[in-house]
Amino acid sequence: MGIEDGKLLELKDGMRAAAAVAMGLAGLLAQGQMSAGRSIAKAAPVEFLYPEQVTVAAGKPATLALHFRIAPGLHINSHTPREEELIPTTFSIPEGAAVRLDKADYPAGTDFTLPLDPKEKLSVYTGEFVVQARIVASPGDHLVEAKLRYQACDNNACMPPRTITVAIDVVGK
Amino acid sequence: MKRNTLVLTAVLFILAIFAWAGWANFEYRKQAGARLLASVAKAELVPDKDGGPPQFVTPLMGKSAPEFSLEDLSGNKVSLGGYKGKAVLVNFWATWCGPCKIETPWLIELRNQYAAQGFEILGVSEDELDRDDAQKLGAEKQEIARFVQQMHMPYPVLIGGDSISEPYGGLDDLPTSFFVDRGGMVVAAQVGLTSKDEIEGNIKKALGK
Repeated sequence: MGIEDGKLLELKDGMRAAAAVAMGLAGLLAQGQMSAGRSIAKAAPVEFLYPEQVTVAAGKPATLALHFRIAPGLHINSHTPREEELIPTTFSIPEGAAVRLDKADYPAGTDFTLPLDPKEKLSVYTGEFVVQARIVASPGDHLVEAKLRYQACDNNACMPPRTITVAIDVVGK
Repeated sequence: MKRNTLVLTAVLFILAIFAWAGWANFEYRKQAGARLLASVAKAELVPDKDGGPPQFVTPLMGKSAPEFSLEDLSGNKVSLGGYKGKAVLVNFWATWCGPCKIETPWLIELRNQYAAQGFEILGVSEDELDRDDAQKLGAEKQEIARFVQQMHMPYPVLIGGDSISEPYGGLDDLPTSFFVDRGGMVVAAQVGLTSKDEIEGNIKKALGK
């Protein structure tokens, strides 16, 4: 019995070592992909900062402060742009998810004018901004893939509208 | 015996991981290579040799402008090839693009000034179109038409420009303009808001002046 226990222990150690080698390899590979990808790709105009994980009371509304950062030199339309044709910044959670978006409150935009059109005031976000999202989560651990749609410009050019995934691990207790 | 089997399984597992890592690495390098190639083929801003503002360099320079056929707001097909013999400015824009709105009156003035010499502008809208939803599509076309009317754009405005973005270098930024000479060759290009004088200079190049 004792010998078998010893063998089992050796075996477990062997398996652990094999798993560690495998995980290490996978980790190295993932790291290589990320750093090389970053060096090639153009920086993202808008980046989700935090929170990555939240714990909320299940079945009850909870407000999350979602922090985003806009790349230097760029601006995006606020949630309430002044012109009808401008694309507002909007936050959403796909329907049918275990976490429901009850309401999203957006910061007021800042007045901004393009140097070549000083008469027209735009309502934009620059730097960091926070969206207050009121959610209702069902019990359990849910990886929510929320979305932020925005349209970014600098003083001379605009980029097509984009939708980024805002990944949040929501634990409903 | 049982132990040997387990050790063998573990070794095989490690070998499988190595094989997977090798394959994934190969795939990743292949994709990275493709991305690098795409970025090289893309138009970009490069510093001016004489210390002036950065110049927009496109691999299309000196080559035939990629042919396209797009619908105008009335549903008629308009192709670039139909303008052979004329100098054409292919201007990519969108209703949500503020700098495009600033540039448009300059384009209108220059178009009216040089039209008699065989110059035309094709305004290609990059506004998204929901082709699967007739109601949304109608509203989106109306939005473009409203903008065209508001700006008094006298030249053909074509929709669904995203379908030709790739041959024109991806069009990451708007406005973007390509100046095509009477023989269909790209002689100049601009990205972002520049100046009326710069646009006029490029129109003259396209006209062969």
